[in-house]
Amino acid sequence: MGLTFVLGAASGVQWGDMIFYAVLFIVLMALIKHFAWGPVTEMMDKRATKIANDIDSAEESRKKAEEVEQQRLAALKDSHAEASQIVERARKNGEQQKNTIVTGAHSEAQALKETAKQDIERERQDALEGVKNDVAELSLEIASKVISKNLQMNDQKALIDSYIEGLGKQNEVK
Amino acid sequence: MNEGASVQEFFGIPFNISNDLPGLLAAIIVFFTMLWLSRRIQLKPSGKQNFIEWIIDFTNGIIKSTMPGKEGSKFGLLIFTLFSFIFVSNQLGMMLQVSVNNVSYIKSPTANVMTTMTLAFIVLLTAHFLGVKKFGFKGYFKNTYLSPLPFLLPLSVLEEFTNFLTLALRLYGNIYSGEVLLKLIYEFGKSFGIASFIPAIPLEIIWQGFSVFIGSIQAYVFVTLTMVYISQKVEKE
Repeated sequence: MGLTFVLGAASGVQWGDMIFYAVLFIVLMALIKHFAWGPVTEMMDKRATKIANDIDSAEESRKKAEEVEQQRLAALKDSHAEASQIVERARKNGEQQKNTIVTGAHSEAQALKETAKQDIERERQDALEGVKNDVAELSLEIASKVISKNLQMNDQKALIDSYIEGLGKQNEVK
Repeated sequence: MNEGASVQEFFGIPFNISNDLPGLLAAIIVFFTMLWLSRRIQLKPSGKQNFIEWIIDFTNGIIKSTMPGKEGSKFGLLIFTLFSFIFVSNQLGMMLQVSVNNVSYIKSPTANVMTTMTLAFIVLLTAHFLGVKKFGFKGYFKNTYLSPLPFLLPLSVLEEFTNFLTLALRLYGNIYSGEVLLKLIYEFGKSFGIASFIPAIPLEIIWQGFSVFIGSIQAYVFVTLTMVYISQKVEKE
């Protein structure tokens, strides 16, 4: 390696510098690409896409929120109508129930009255019957006592027998 | 002025060490700055991540202004690296100059015409390569050299060379002149002792501030023109 040390620009063109700078620049470019440019631009791209995505998703969620709001309003309106409907129906139901109850009570009372009347009638009938029998017996006894004095056994035997028979029948029926 | 150059030959290729060293330094500064800025990146940016993203947005904005659409996005890395490297290179010599034996080993790498020519060469090579790749050699030739009117062919060929030279020399001239004036003011400050040292300080500060401005503008101009040249080659006129 012949080393020469030359002073001044008179030594001609140092074309080695061109090689040196070309290599230097390319190496610098490669190093910067690997260590600085690459990661930073990648991050910038990532950010750009993230921002774009965020804007899109924000728009989407805004739309969704609007839709939900619309639905909510519609539901609210519906619920108003539904509520009044429910109240109306409840009132109708109440009215109906009241009518049924009243009618039921009426008819029940009527039936009770009817049975009570019937019972009373029967009691009365029974009582009448009882009284009739008692009267008959009493009158018969009285009659027999009155008649027995002048009753001839032989004369009146057939009559008395028939009478007694009738009494017996009457007693059987009783 | 430190016009010396320390030239060494490796394998018969002459290298100007006083030009290569600042380039290496600038590249190291750029790399470690970007490495530091891009640590712990998050989806929600904060602190230094905002800064590197701002730079990336800025360089992407330069691309978008000349080449809108998806096609331009693949030049993001090239423009980002080019811009940060040229920017740091421009500011380097304005803040720090180290000379040994009348040879400055640390200065702006872009104050040397070899550096700017290499960068311009890379840019134009990329542009022509992409042109050929997109349209095929025939389409590329037609698009580049016969495009407005076929008889302007000589001018179109010449234009390619002037593009290359102006791109390189504009950057070189601006930065080099800035450095020359910085050194001139420095020499003036030394020349009459305390009498000239005191007025030289504000002068130097003013010129440094102006150099920051020029360096930033030139970095911006370089990458903008880069995109213009690339878009000329890959888009049909």
